[in-house]
Order: sequence, then structure tokens, then C-alpha cells
Amino acid sequence: MRVLSSLVAAIVLVSLAAAPQLGAQEAQAQIGEHAPAFTLPDTYGDEHSLPDYEGEWVVLEWLNYDCPFVRKHYDSGNMPSLQETYGSKGVIWFAVVSSAPGKQGYFAPDEMNRRSEQAGSVAKAVLLDPEGTVGRLYGARTTPQMVLIDPAGTVLYNGAIDDKPSARIETIEGAHNYLVAAIEEAMAGKPVSVPTSQPYGCSVKYK
Amino acid sequence: MRRLLLCLLVPAALAAQEPTDPSPHSDASLVAKVTSIRPGEPFSVGLRLVMEEGWHSYWRNAGDSGLPTTLAWDLPDGFEAAAIQWPYPSRIERPPLVSYGYEEEVLLLVEIRPPPDLTVGRTVTLAARADWLICEEPCYPATADVAVELPVRDAPPEPDRRWADAFARARARLPMAPDGWRISGRYGPSGYVLAVSPPVGLDVSFPENPFFAAAKSVIDHAAPQPIARSGEGFRIRLSVSQFAVGPAERLEGVLLARGLETETPYAALAIAPEVIPGEGEEEVVAPMVAATGYREPLTLFLALAFAFLGGLLLNLMPCVLPVLSIKVLGFVEQGGTDPAGARLHGAAYGLGVLVSFWMLAGALLLLRAAGQELGWGFQLQSPLFVAFMALLFFFLGLMFLGVVEMGGTLTRLGALGRGAGYRNSLLTGVLAVVVATPCTAPFMGAALGFALARPALHGLAVFTTLGLGMAFPYVALSASPALLRRLPRPGPWMESLKQFLAFPLFATVVWLLWVFGRQTGVDGASLLLLALTFLGLAAWILGRWSAPSRARPGRRAVARATATLILLLAGGLAWAGSQKLSDEPAVRLGSEWQPFSPARVEALRSEGRPVFVDFTAAWCLTCQVNERVTLADAAVKEAFRARDIALLKADWTTRDPEITAALRSFGRSGVPLYVLYSPQPGLPPRILPEILSVGIVLDALADL
Repeated sequence: MRVLSSLVAAIVLVSLAAAPQLGAQEAQAQIGEHAPAFTLPDTYGDEHSLPDYEGEWVVLEWLNYDCPFVRKHYDSGNMPSLQETYGSKGVIWFAVVSSAPGKQGYFAPDEMNRRSEQAGSVAKAVLLDPEGTVGRLYGARTTPQMVLIDPAGTVLYNGAIDDKPSARIETIEGAHNYLVAAIEEAMAGKPVSVPTSQPYGCSVKYK
Repeated sequence: MRRLLLCLLVPAALAAQEPTDPSPHSDASLVAKVTSIRPGEPFSVGLRLVMEEGWHSYWRNAGDSGLPTTLAWDLPDGFEAAAIQWPYPSRIERPPLVSYGYEEEVLLLVEIRPPPDLTVGRTVTLAARADWLICEEPCYPATADVAVELPVRDAPPEPDRRWADAFARARARLPMAPDGWRISGRYGPSGYVLAVSPPVGLDVSFPENPFFAAAKSVIDHAAPQPIARSGEGFRIRLSVSQFAVGPAERLEGVLLARGLETETPYAALAIAPEVIPGEGEEEVVAPMVAATGYREPLTLFLALAFAFLGGLLLNLMPCVLPVLSIKVLGFVEQGGTDPAGARLHGAAYGLGVLVSFWMLAGALLLLRAAGQELGWGFQLQSPLFVAFMALLFFFLGLMFLGVVEMGGTLTRLGALGRGAGYRNSLLTGVLAVVVATPCTAPFMGAALGFALARPALHGLAVFTTLGLGMAFPYVALSASPALLRRLPRPGPWMESLKQFLAFPLFATVVWLLWVFGRQTGVDGASLLLLALTFLGLAAWILGRWSAPSRARPGRRAVARATATLILLLAGGLAWAGSQKLSDEPAVRLGSEWQPFSPARVEALRSEGRPVFVDFTAAWCLTCQVNERVTLADAAVKEAFRARDIALLKADWTTRDPEITAALRSFGRSGVPLYVLYSPQPGLPPRILPEILSVGIVLDALADL
């Protein structure tokens, strides 16, 4: 009798242990839902785990320094100034590179650091996702693509950086920046009026 | 300040990377359809983009990435340029992304209206700045100032022969109004449904993924668009874009169809049906199968009948038979002296079986409702599950052999006491279902998968009937005193039978190890074997020093603690083994087989080759038998070769959302599935039965 109960209990435990393994792989990021957890190394070899930043505002920026659309935002100084503005307000800003080795936008960590310096990036860290797992998890389609996560760990925005799908620097002036709007609304305790929009840019160079 | 300085310096540094050519990998020119124009008479011009091989530009909705081409006109006074007329695009697949665009060459048409008071005899210059994005893997913005000069004459314009073909091709690819078609759009929890009925008497078909949305943020561009026949028409399912804020008001876009009289391979229809909430009545639609398809959709009644039979058969499988036999031995021991108690035990067991099946079905349906791409057999796609099943079966086998006694004899498992004994029976029911799960996938995966592809209630009904079938023999036995009296008398033969029944369990362990080895490789399998060895050690210690009949209490505690530690170690090893993933494909591809992907099917079909797809998994016994007996048959192989059929294998041994989605587009949620695509682009694929014979395959090939 006791053997049987412990057997059944063990089976239940094992199935419970196996279930998240099945489930976790596919739980895609969704607006208004809890942001899927991930752990990625940065260019200095430090591991960053999203759940460790619960309690903080987090921005994920999909990055490919050789993509003309990304360059629009770095050459103009737009992206670095956003990183600085919100970094100083305590927002944890991660740039995520999902380019596969050998494809555009992939650099070895040292080279990536050089490019970040050149581009004037002041993101907290550049996270390396050469397998594209986190990119796929968050449905990253283009560079740039922006994700905003609130201190409770909820995805508040996922989509384009602004409403001017163009690689021309002139288009930054007068553009409506969706990410800025989302952060400002959310920090003021208001609901995010535009929680998503089709991102524009270069395709993420997945494996 | 430092930032400002950086901003000034950075562009120069980065600009070094950019190609100096303003329009890299492509050339643009403005061409006119006519050699001269007449005042007030509209005419066509076109922006001609010629791209290097492998590079592409974009349609008006670029899809997941990219930008549409734009034209900024600089026209003489009084001239007006209309919007670009876009020939239909092609899907440019870079999994997991899909863009809409053009490769090689495209002519974007624009109608120009000259003023009526134009002076005859002068020459006008139409100029524009074209901006487009040219992409291969990398992308570059491209720009060109283009112009065309045309004389104004008071004579009917002559077509420019140089561009006549290009204009004709582009015009043939322009979407046209769907005259005589009935088209409607619906929106429900699973996305959009585009219902289209062609004009009466017109025999049409659709290519794969026939719909191109005109705007972004409406549909998921990369999602497959399963097509099902529905009465006189078709229903095309479209997934909602991740970036949609709400349902679109209209499904505006271009629908490609075949079978209309056009010179191009497809006719493009410009459609924009209003979206109505709700999925429409025809919920149960047959997957798109050729008229001659072998498979009739299983009716619910038939499905239930098969489920009951399947449940009965489960009792005979090596996974379940031993556990059940022990239960029956309990009755034997008791010799039918307590019919009322026996009936209650039977009921408790039956309840245990049913509840477990409901929990399984419920868990699966919930996971699927949560958007998981799962089909039946998903339990075996987790190496961890396979490993623990192997450990469980091995341990049960050791118990049957008498290595572990644990508080009396194993027949306790089937003991028929009062009170707590009923709980025991209930738990045996649960255990029977648990040990049955690895066996349902190989033998009944396809049928259960089919049931799960139906509405949730049907799925639950099928699972319930399966449980009823499985519980039936034991419940019937327990409820009938006449049958109970017929059981043989108890005796030493019971111990021999019990020990013998360990061997079907060990055979199951071997099979699970084989599946595990396919998933994790030799290293993983070795770790699992080591785990089994430690499990054996723990069982031996328990049997030797912990059995109450032999052991002193002090020793017993030590033995239990040691055994627990070793068991934990075994569990850890099994877990470590399940984390290793084999580099080798689980299902070995023969030289003539290629791995499956929807893009590859499309590519091969566009070359005009017939394609055969084998959806399979290492743990699916039906698949293994079909592959070894039928598909490896010399006559079948020869027939494949003779017809130059491209052979693709979709390996579902471990989880693969792309394959699950492909299975679902055929109305399945399990393997095996065999699909044969004809070389003619218009014909829908044909689905072969789950159990293949050489004759069936040869007949299907002959019909190609």
C-alpha cells in the first residue's frame, strides 16, 4: 500500500517536474502577461537573468549595428540619448543581439564592445543570443524592436520604436516614439495606450 | 556634451561600412509604356527594379521586415501621378520570418495623367526619386533619381516595344476584382477565417499560403495558412499578428488562386471582406484532401467505438498487462468469497482509470488552449519523461521478481482489504493509466491525435471511452460472482506467474531506452543505464536489509536512508542524461531523404517535382513498421526514383512546433502522416493511410 502511494506520488512529482520543461520552451512573450524568463551572457561574460531584475523597469532593444535602421537611431544619437535618459531614471536597458555567428550583426564580444563604444551606446549591457532563443521567445522580427517590462515583470510594450518606418535620419524628428510614450504612461501609472505596433527594420538574422 | 561630440563623430566612423553605390545590388529606371503622349490622355509608366540574384525589394506591405518602395514625383505643371499599382509579390522566407517582396526584376506601375492643355510638339520630362530597400541577409537602403522623356504628339500613342513584355507581365500580376466570388471574413478565438466561394462552375484551387495582407499588424505573416474545403468553397485560416491591437475591420489583401484563365501561374484577386466576429457554423471541416483521398473523416461514433476497442487492447500491452494481472491475482487469492467487496474494488479501480484519463486529456487540452503546439505523443517527446518511465518500469520489474519485498508480498498491490484497500484499488487504476501512457503513443497516437484535433468535447468523449474500454475487463470480472468463481485456485503458480511478468516490463524498459538513446545519444543513454544500475542497487539494499520480515529496526533505518540517497543519485543521473541532446537526427535519414520544412516543400514544388513527406517519430511503432516494411521496399524505392519524387522526413521525436503546425494543417495532431504532393501546382496534396502497404503506395504514385 505504502509502496503504491509513494510510486504514484513519485510519478505525479516527475510529471510536474517535466511539465514546465515542456511548457517553458514555447511560452511566447505576450502583452499584459508575465515576461518569459531568460538568462543570457553579456559581452563581458556576465550572466543576466531577467527574473533577477524583477522590481525594476526593463527595456529590451534588438540590436544589429550593421542594420541601416539601427544605424539611423545610433548615428542620430537618438538611441544613446534614450538609453541615457531612462538609464538615469533607473531603467535597466539591455540591447539583445540575436544574430547567428557568421551573419550580419554578429560580433565576437570584444568587437561588439568596440562597436558599442563607436556607436555611443550606454545600454546597461549588450546581451548575446547567438542561438536566437530569446529573440524567438519575444517574437523579435526586426532590428530595432523594443520591449518594455514593468517592475512586476509584465510585458507592457513590444513593437516598433517609432511610427516612421524608414532608414533616413531626417525621419527621427517629428516621429512619435512608441517606447517613450509607453514608458512615460506606465511610469505615470496610466495604461499604455499603444501596447504594440508592427516593428520595422532589418530582419533579425536568425540561425 | 561628451554625448554630443560622440554623436558628431560616430556617423563618419560607421559610414565607412556602407556601400558607396547609392543603389547597391540593384538598378532602377523609369520606363514608359508608350513612345509619345497625347494631351489629356492617361498613360502608364513603371519603375523598373533589376536586382542581383539572391537580393530582393519589397511589396506595399513588406511583411515581417523591410520597407515598401516609394516614389517622390517631380512632374511638369498639370501632370498627376496616381498611386503605385503593385504586382502580386512572393513570400520571401527566412524562418522564422516571412517578408513579401520581389526578386530578380519587377515593374511597379503608375498611371500618369497629363493636362489637356499640353502643347503639342514639346518634350516633357517625368522625374522621380525612388527609394527602396534592397536585402539579401544584409539590407541596404537604395535611392535613385530616375526620369523618362516623352514627346507630346497629337497622334495615338505607339507602344514602346522594348518594354511591351515587361508591362504585359506586370499587368498580368496585378490583382483583379473578384467578380462572381463570394468572400467573407470572420474572426474568432483561433484567428481569422477567410471563406471564399468561386463563381459557380469554376474549378479552382489555391497554392500554399495564398493570402497576402495589404497592411501590417493584421496577420502573422509567417504562420501557415491551412486551407479546408467547406461545401462549395474553401476556408483559409489566418493567424493574428503578434502586433495587432485588435481584430482588423477588413481582411484587405491579395489572394492567389489557380484555375482561372490567366497567363501567369496564379490569378491574384484584390479582396477586402469585412470581418464579422465569430467563427461561422461549419466548425468541423474536413482537411483538404483530394477527392480520391483514402481517408474519410472519422465520425464521432466510429471514433468512440475504436477508442473502446483500443482501451480493451491496452490491457494486453506489455506496459499494462503485468500490473493488471497482479490485480486479478488478488481476486484469485481471495477465491471469490466477498462479491460485494470485489465489486467495490472494481468500481474504485475503474474510477481511478477514468479520472487519470480525464486528467491527461484535460492537461493536454489546457496546454493546447494556452497556445502550446502539442499533439498526442508529446509525453514521449520529453526525454525526462522517458527516463523516469524507464526507471519506473525497471523498479516494477524488480518488485515482480521479488528483489524488493517492501512490507510483505507484492500481491499487496492487488490486496483486497477493506477501507483503505479501496484507495489502493483506485491508485492501481491511476498506475495502470500511467504505465499505459508510453504505450498509447506508439499504438494509438494517430487516432488520439485525430480525436484531439476535434472540438474539446469530442476529445474528452474519446478519452473517456478509451478509459472505459481499459477498465472494462477488470470491472466486469469484479462485478460478476460467476466469473470470479471460475478463476483458478490460488497456489504457488501465482508466484511464478508474477515473476515471469517482470520480463514484459523489462522489454518495455529496453524500448524506452532505445527511444531515449535516439533523443540523447549514446552518452545520455549510458547515463540512464547507470541510473538503472543504481536503482537496482537501491532496490537490492531495500530488499536485503529493509524487509520487515528479516531486518532489525536499526538496520532497517540505515538501509532506507542509504537506499534513498542512491535513489536520488539515480534520479539525478537520469535527469543529467535527459539534458543531453543528440546531434544526430533521431530518425536517421537515408541518403535519399531530406529533412522537412514547409519552405523546402514549396521550393521543390516550384521546381515542378512531386514531393512525399513522411511525418514520423522514433517512438512511433507504426511509423517504424511502415518505414522498414513498406517505404524500404525495393519496388516502392524504385517507383520513387522513377518518378523523381523528392522524399522529405519530418522528425517529431522531440518537440518541433513547425512540424506540429504542419500536422495540424492536415487536421492531425500526431504521427504517422504521409502526404504526397503532385507535381502539378494546382492539385491539393493527397494523404495516404496510416498503415501503408506496398500496393497503397504504388497505386498512389501511379495516380500522380
